[in-house]
Amino acid sequence: MRITDTNNRKSSHPKVMVIVLSDGPYISQYADIGYKMAQKALELGYGVKIFLYMDGVHIPQKDQNPRTLPNISQSFEELIEKGCEIKACIRCAAARGYMEESQYLEGVEITSVYDLAEWMDENSKVVMLGS
Amino acid sequence: MSSLLVIIDKAPYGHENALSGIYIAIASLDRGMDSDVLLMGDGVYAAQKNQSADKTIGYPSVSELIYSIFPNGTLFVHLDSLTQRGMKYEDLVEIAELIDGKTLHELSKSKKHIIKI
Repeated sequence: MRITDTNNRKSSHPKVMVIVLSDGPYISQYADIGYKMAQKALELGYGVKIFLYMDGVHIPQKDQNPRTLPNISQSFEELIEKGCEIKACIRCAAARGYMEESQYLEGVEITSVYDLAEWMDENSKVVMLGS
Repeated sequence: MSSLLVIIDKAPYGHENALSGIYIAIASLDRGMDSDVLLMGDGVYAAQKNQSADKTIGYPSVSELIYSIFPNGTLFVHLDSLTQRGMKYEDLVEIAELIDGKTLHELSKSKKHIIKI
């Protein structure tokens, strides 16, 4: 069964799903769940913004090589190509040694939690995923 | 004006969540959102007064940081969670306000965004 939301596609200001991820990849399923939710929302014509908080900043790091699991960084690369905006918390990134933008997938912005606050407007809905 | 409720259900210091949840509330208040913090479950320990984490474990004192949301934001503490842990209202920081289940329901209904961290 295919579910579509044509009303949102027609709108000049599509509604936005804001996903906050606070777990790192592989330790839990949340990064993968966030990816699948974002993928489907983009397909339905919604805007999607992902804010990486706490251990979530591990997710878009380059050169990941999980031998037996799907590579989450490749999944997030696909989301960026489809127009998903991804930002990482600078406080969390600094604490974990990820201050060089070259460490991240192209398109990921290191920013502050104030940007998350600005994303949470009347046109968006926030979903927090993390343990 | 958009609105936010940050629900914290983990004790401070054992996890980064309480500190990070308060930072989200501070940022959203700074951006003009109608934001409050609700402590539930083990999160109620974040409101215990006279914490000395900064002097003992070198971690920012969550009970001091939480004053940053005052007066524009409210610090709600879930009454049942507090009672279950043998704590009393007198044990809490001065800005704490107790909330029962019914009022919690109304509060959550009134918010556009809810973040449980």
